[in-house]
Amino acid sequence: MKFSLARPALAFAITVTLASCGGGKATFPINVTVTNLQYPGLILSTNGMDYTVNPPATTGQDVTFAFPNAIEYGQTYDVIPKGQTVTNGTLTALGAQPAHQTCSSPTFPKSGTAGQLAKIDIHYVCAVNTFPLTGTVKGLTGTGLTLANGSTYLPVTVSPALDSANAPTGADVTLTMNPVPYGTTYGVTVVTQPTGQTCTVTGGANGTGGGTMDDAAEKAGGVTNLVVTCVKSS
Amino acid sequence: MKSSILRASAVSLACALVLSACGGGGGDLTLGGAVQNVTQDGLVLQNNGGDDTKVVYPYTSFQFGNRVSTDDQFNITVAHIPDNASECHVNNGKARANYYSIYQISVACTIKQHALTVEVTNSTGVGITIVNGADKKDVLAGVTSASVSMSPVNEGSPYGITVLSTPAGKTCTVSGGSNGNGTGTMGQVDTTVTVSCK
Repeated sequence: MKFSLARPALAFAITVTLASCGGGKATFPINVTVTNLQYPGLILSTNGMDYTVNPPATTGQDVTFAFPNAIEYGQTYDVIPKGQTVTNGTLTALGAQPAHQTCSSPTFPKSGTAGQLAKIDIHYVCAVNTFPLTGTVKGLTGTGLTLANGSTYLPVTVSPALDSANAPTGADVTLTMNPVPYGTTYGVTVVTQPTGQTCTVTGGANGTGGGTMDDAAEKAGGVTNLVVTCVKSS
Repeated sequence: MKSSILRASAVSLACALVLSACGGGGGDLTLGGAVQNVTQDGLVLQNNGGDDTKVVYPYTSFQFGNRVSTDDQFNITVAHIPDNASECHVNNGKARANYYSIYQISVACTIKQHALTVEVTNSTGVGITIVNGADKKDVLAGVTSASVSMSPVNEGSPYGITVLSTPAGKTCTVSGGSNGNGTGTMGQVDTTVTVSCK
């Protein structure tokens, strides 16, 4: 009878001791900062938690938050856009990204083990997606043609197609301007005409090499219908 | 006696080996760095007043021809700046060479900018949008004449003013600029382009 009383008492003592150990265990909130988020749609995910990140009330400000549950010392974390997959080191699905933007964590570790660092601080940076601005140069035989899209970049030089004897053939040449970010305008113009020829720009959304990289252009994967037609100067 | 001589020579030999391993011999460090805001020829850098090095296309980095040794003092200065720059400065250009200090060097220039103004006459009554690439300015409906300030343009950079949306059934003509049709390369003075819609 005495013994049977002592046994539960011992068990109780052990339970109290264990609880006091567990109560002191450090927990680590997973803090996140997102820079340059402009559009909704970003869902960050780790340790079975999803967090929908909305753009800041004031454009340009960072968004900071902590995941609802902190993790314990020794637990691992990996904060990714929900559904992002990496196969053999190659990104195969971007995950739940904001509209018109792609967010990544290029210079800061997004994964680790709680306790490795004093504090878990994840940093994501979002960039506005850019889309190709391309087309065709027709009839080019002279040298020195340069085209520009405003003043943002150095002009793009286009050389004529040459035959085996290095004579210009006038065959179509691909035109590749610098990619244009979503939501910005473009207006392609000839900065320098080729020797002996005059070139004019057509195509784009407005038919004269201009337009906006809008939803329709984004859906089409960019603007690829620029046409630069070169004829002999009169 | 013997043992102390042996010890001394062994120690000095060891010291000499360590020192030569540290770069006491021929230079094995390359001095160079990143370059920002350079768009044309003309930037010349010097190290300790010599070894002139031109920064060439695509103007993103430089590298001195002469290598330096660990602990050599280097002092990189700007000997000449591009014509379209107002100033160029060297960051972390003066130090003793080691594997840390030689990777901290960079050069940044400030390019002169000039105003690009568009004088608009628009008798169509319909608003128009004027763009210089990504730089977009609206002229509201009913405004018949306006002077529109576009974002300033770097000297030596291209520009091309176009009308994004010409009112239906109307014509817009762009003139002026160094090519006469609203396009050109920014020179050393402010530029005005004319847009006329009717």
